[in-house]
Amino acid sequence: MAIESLLAKPAAVDDELKKARMGPEAVRIVIDTFKQEGIDLIVTLPEEPTFSLTDAIRKDPYFTAATVTDESTGIAMCAGAALGGRSTVFVTGIAGLLVSTWALAQMGMVFGAPFLIVASYRGDFGDRTGIPGSQLAMFKRVAEPLLSTLSVPYQIVDQESKLKKAIVDSHFACHSYATPVALMLTGEVLW
Amino acid sequence: MMRRYDCLEKLAGWVDDHMFGVTSLSSNTAIWSEVRTNGPNFMGMNMGLCVPFALGLSMAFPRRTVIALDSDGSLMNNTSSLLSVGDLRPPKLVIIVMDNQSYARMGPTASSRNADLEAIARGAGIEHTATVRTEAEFEQHVKPALRQPGPSFFRVIVEAETERLVGNRRRVYGQAMKARFIETVSEHPDYQKWNETATLAAARQAVSDS
Repeated sequence: MAIESLLAKPAAVDDELKKARMGPEAVRIVIDTFKQEGIDLIVTLPEEPTFSLTDAIRKDPYFTAATVTDESTGIAMCAGAALGGRSTVFVTGIAGLLVSTWALAQMGMVFGAPFLIVASYRGDFGDRTGIPGSQLAMFKRVAEPLLSTLSVPYQIVDQESKLKKAIVDSHFACHSYATPVALMLTGEVLW
Repeated sequence: MMRRYDCLEKLAGWVDDHMFGVTSLSSNTAIWSEVRTNGPNFMGMNMGLCVPFALGLSMAFPRRTVIALDSDGSLMNNTSSLLSVGDLRPPKLVIIVMDNQSYARMGPTASSRNADLEAIARGAGIEHTATVRTEAEFEQHVKPALRQPGPSFFRVIVEAETERLVGNRRRVYGQAMKARFIETVSEHPDYQKWNETATLAAARQAVSDS
């Protein structure tokens, strides 16, 4: 009886949770653009908002999909692959960026590893993933100051129509700048 | 007890110009840069980052041996990376942990007491592992692993250094080291150089699409 009460959710909440993932059109755009860019190594520690993307990537034989157990490992792994010449993306969220700050500082500021980070902008306006508001507020407060402090250039993408160009431009930028570059997904792209 | 320098000097004699070396700070970097002066080396990985960086490099060069020269304090900062190695199992990755059982000259690590790094690696899913205590054992286990399917993991027990080793700072650290590494690997035929021309064309296409 107790577990049933935990599982039961009002229909409205279920609907919100379903909306709190990348939709099929955004997933298609990202995958097509990765392929166009020759990006074939995707590293992630799965999280709810980008799960539909990483799940689709894992099922697509074009990609090598690596699931790591912590984000510092993911960032350092992407750096090794990228400095070895392989086009690489790390898919994560704000919590993952917080966990990986040490690796990001090392791989970005010290070594200038050129790879792309695609991150859900967890806690941004519109996030209804069901996690506590105090967590959402923390993510919102730290996300952009964190990236600025770590000198990670970033772009916020909130419209599907801008997604393809944002990926192409940020991929170019990470190589041009010789540093990790982050795409922060929010708004229409996520929820 | 073995000296780290002697082990790395032997190892340098076994690697060829196509094998990659990735080193943790700081003794591994200082010594490796002296004993392996040619070939692709990426050196100076700070705490916890040597193994995952080497793992990424092995994803870029799956047919080449990548040697992660880590140390006990660094690995224990991120033993989680071993789970990713055990999960992905890159066949040419060789992890060698120089375990001096101390944080440089700042006291003992957990590996001097209860932690068994080989057992952790094996538990993470890395099947080829050994703990090495003599130069004969080092040669017996590590030398063949450089050319056999892996991944493999070796805990090498060495004596703690009593003085700080730094190496040639301009050659082994930061951007100068990176530039030298890129210059070396970009000559390899399997280097997947980022295709700037293709990306520029793609950018123009994206602009016209939008």
